[in-house]
Amino acid sequence: MATITKQKTPRWRKVPKRNYILLSMIVILSIFPFYWMFVVASNTNAEISKSPPSLIPGGRFFIVAHKVLSAQGVYFNSALLNTFIVGISIAVAQVIFSAIAGFAFAKLDFKGRKGLILFVVGTMMLPSQLGIIPLFMLVKNLHMIDTLYGLIVPALITAFGVFWMRQIIDAQIPNELLEAASIDGASVPRIFFRIVLPIVRQSGFVLGLFAFLAAWNDYLWPTIVLQSPKHFTLQVALTQLKPMYGLDYGLQMGGAFLATAPLLILFIFVGRKLVTGVMDGAVKG
Amino acid sequence: MSLVNERERKNKPLSPWKPKKISANRSSKKAAAFPGVKSLNGRWGYICVTPFVVMFAVFGLAPVLYSVYISFFKWDPLGASTFVGVRNFNLLLHDSDLWLAVRNTFSIWALSTFPQMLMAIGLANVLRNTRLRGKSFFRTILLVPNITSVIAITIVFSQLFGRDFGIINDILGWAGLGHHIDFIEGVIPSHIQIATMITWRWIGYNTLIFLASMLAIPNELFESSSVDGATKWQQFRFVTLPQLKNTITFVLIVGTIGGLQVFAEPQQLAADGGSSKQFLTLTLFLYNQAFVNNKYGYAAAIGIFITFIVLIISAVNFVITRKISNDGTS
Amino acid sequence: MRNELMTKFRSKAAIASLAAVAIGAGLFTAPAKAAPPVTITIWTFGDVIQRNLVAEYKALHPEVTLQIKKSDLDPLDGTNMVTACTSKTGPDIVATEVSYSGYWRSYPKCFQDLRQMKTTGEPTAGIPAGQSATDIAKNYLAWRWQQGVAFDGSVIGIPTDVGGLEVAYRSDLFKKAGLPTDRAAVAKLWPTWDAFIATGQKYNSKLTAAEKKAGTGFIDNAGTIYAAIMNQGTAKYYSNDGSETGKLIYATNPQVKLAWDTTIKATTAGIGTRIGQYTSDWNIGMNKGTFATILAPAWMMDYIKAQAPDTAGKWDIANMPGGGGNQGGTQLGIPSYAQNKQEAYDFLTWYLAPAQQLKVFKSYGLFPSASVLYSDPALVGFKDPFFNNAPVGQIYAAGVQKLKPIFEGKLQRAIDTAIGAGLGRVAAKKQTPAKSWAQVLSDLNKVVNN
Repeated sequence: MATITKQKTPRWRKVPKRNYILLSMIVILSIFPFYWMFVVASNTNAEISKSPPSLIPGGRFFIVAHKVLSAQGVYFNSALLNTFIVGISIAVAQVIFSAIAGFAFAKLDFKGRKGLILFVVGTMMLPSQLGIIPLFMLVKNLHMIDTLYGLIVPALITAFGVFWMRQIIDAQIPNELLEAASIDGASVPRIFFRIVLPIVRQSGFVLGLFAFLAAWNDYLWPTIVLQSPKHFTLQVALTQLKPMYGLDYGLQMGGAFLATAPLLILFIFVGRKLVTGVMDGAVKG
Repeated sequence: MSLVNERERKNKPLSPWKPKKISANRSSKKAAAFPGVKSLNGRWGYICVTPFVVMFAVFGLAPVLYSVYISFFKWDPLGASTFVGVRNFNLLLHDSDLWLAVRNTFSIWALSTFPQMLMAIGLANVLRNTRLRGKSFFRTILLVPNITSVIAITIVFSQLFGRDFGIINDILGWAGLGHHIDFIEGVIPSHIQIATMITWRWIGYNTLIFLASMLAIPNELFESSSVDGATKWQQFRFVTLPQLKNTITFVLIVGTIGGLQVFAEPQQLAADGGSSKQFLTLTLFLYNQAFVNNKYGYAAAIGIFITFIVLIISAVNFVITRKISNDGTS
Repeated sequence: MRNELMTKFRSKAAIASLAAVAIGAGLFTAPAKAAPPVTITIWTFGDVIQRNLVAEYKALHPEVTLQIKKSDLDPLDGTNMVTACTSKTGPDIVATEVSYSGYWRSYPKCFQDLRQMKTTGEPTAGIPAGQSATDIAKNYLAWRWQQGVAFDGSVIGIPTDVGGLEVAYRSDLFKKAGLPTDRAAVAKLWPTWDAFIATGQKYNSKLTAAEKKAGTGFIDNAGTIYAAIMNQGTAKYYSNDGSETGKLIYATNPQVKLAWDTTIKATTAGIGTRIGQYTSDWNIGMNKGTFATILAPAWMMDYIKAQAPDTAGKWDIANMPGGGGNQGGTQLGIPSYAQNKQEAYDFLTWYLAPAQQLKVFKSYGLFPSASVLYSDPALVGFKDPFFNNAPVGQIYAAGVQKLKPIFEGKLQRAIDTAIGAGLGRVAAKKQTPAKSWAQVLSDLNKVVNN
């Protein structure tokens, strides 16, 4: 990108005012649902249930937050920690395993490679809901029910991650480069760690972050695997806020906001890196 | 080693989307052999893919294969199961719900893919301008929707889309565009609601992909066309757009993968997919047959049906991609 | 390790309970040994297990830790329980909502037969030792108790509450429409469902054009009438032929036709606002007075209080048309793969004893399933200021006693869903009633036969 931004700006690149207006609208639309969560969480139910509803935050956020944090079965801190452990384990494992396998699929010549990658792509699009019961029996036989392992181990490797890294490595690393290195006497592991990994670092970061987000927001599988409140992840903990029937919107949105806030904070730090990574690692179709 | 990295980057544009000719050349060469790096010992390949293959076989494939097996049974997880041959498939193909689900899935897919792609290309075109102030801020904000949980966001959107008192209906009514539109009961309105949630979440990501692709277009193309007196629209139409073919294909494929798996949004709106199953998607159909009606064999048959759809789409996609790259070389 | 410990606890508990049974209640003066710590796991939804009572039990049994996991209703009684029973695992106690009781009564193997259990005894709470489910059945409303009995006669659940159904109405809006506001007079407006619909039409005729345009109506959702009428009958979709699942009669049962036709009549008469229950539109409508009546199960009273606190005192409760009603309710059971059955049974019998049910009713509004309370002044004398001091205890108690036992069949939940969707299609004017019913039948054919 450096090469592009350094260039002299040509005349045809003036920025009309309406573009700023358009972008500002996009910014507002992107953020509005978060803002709305906060509005709902900080007003009374009656306030929200007016028409037109209140569009400005009320003063109840800390009351609601306290209600969320002290609700039966919600151990927010431990849920936060559990979610982090699960998310980071899955993210790191997926990046490493996917990079290794993706490298092999992209650059190494071995029998059955083509068939295997086609197979991977084929299974990628199958709905995962299909295998839930057999998977549960499997995880139970491995004694991983009600443990974080039960969430982490089945998600260590995904077909999508491998396919993605294969595409990235294929697109970003020319064969000539690796050939040169191997002629210089570098072994395959050395080439992988010294040449391949540094080049795909950015894209690996994107894959890891998306895996992390998916793990953070996953609900269906954790609610089946986890049993004791001490092991809950955030999304399972949020379910503990539901009343008998229907929803307590204020409480639910308060919980959702608290569960999203760490991600928003994380995003402030890694957002730009993520942008670079997404653009850098954009995969060819 | 970063030296190698730098050296390499000078020769290659950062983004994999290269001007048409180069990429067409390269892909046609690749399509012929799909070669690895000859001088690397291929045996390492087995070692590298072993962890993946083992883990995937155990946690990914085995459960799915088991499902294929049970698709030939009237399978009750708690009781007796009887072998019924292809009965599930027979029933499925005559089940009007299946075709409704196909319709809904593709309608939601189309409504969430094409408008989103147009908007993403437009936005990328705006963001491309290097004179734009705060461009890294705008780019970053675009990715914010990606971090929310689908469940939380569905609650928010279903409030906003409320028929009687939702803000969106308030705005539409105020603008004279509609009155109490039912974004649950209406077929197209409900699809619009779901497509809006998907678009909201993914438009930023796709914009960045298009942006990366646009930034890789050599400036000379714009400069020469601008010397020739091309208007901005003409530049976009005849310079930018043709360079985006590969990206468009990519976004379409990823959109299709996601589109076939749309599940949480419709489920949160109404678990049965609506009174006339107006937003019953294929994956929701599968889930409900398995976990609500406890018809696991039947659900497994739906899974296999979805696989066939995937295969058909892949074949179509293969043909189209090949046609595009042929067009490029000729 | 964990399992080992569990087995140890279990065997100790079993010995203790055996001893208790053998010796009888007479020897309770013997110094109690400190019981080993035990964790009872409970799968539930919403507030079936009340927090204050959990604390109370903890005081009574410091050695017992209650570990509660809540899920949404459908995953709980569907996916999670099926998966648990299939893979021979599960909690010590599970809450089953009545809409799923028909399903689980076909699978008694997934539950401990509570007739085989004996209480250890809880002298301070007045629970004698050695009581099986058969012994305590007499404390509960007979038809409600039946919903926890499996096809083979084993008791798989004991009811926590009964979802007695009456009409919650806005007396201020009734007054505005020129209708009586006194609850006895209001109940006289609708001895029958036809009279209820006529009242609705009368109410709607008094609305201004602006109110009509804004979607105002008499009842929140006319579709709710269906379930109310169904529960006033003696049979739903199945008849009891002694088989595991029961015999399907939905296509021929006159009660189904009556409920369907009456609901269609109410829908086409336009007395409902068509707002879906538990949507945000519903909450807003509740505050704005968009509808004047809700068919309100006892457990809904707490929801109304929480969502529309500003309407306090404007609501009142009147008797249901047709006399009595029921919707929802929950029972607690012990899965067959539970680790701490004895402790679970001791907790369950304490928690569902009349004294505790009364506390839950007063603090949270779940109406007791323990029929011995229906003559207790503490219950029948209970008045709720939010509902204009209506004697809600007395009204709901009278209502649930009018009902007769209904046989619940295996696929009841799915059948209810399909018929509900059919009513929705008519309400949304997507199909004529006849076409919609035809589709219901074909949908149900798939549910039953595929």
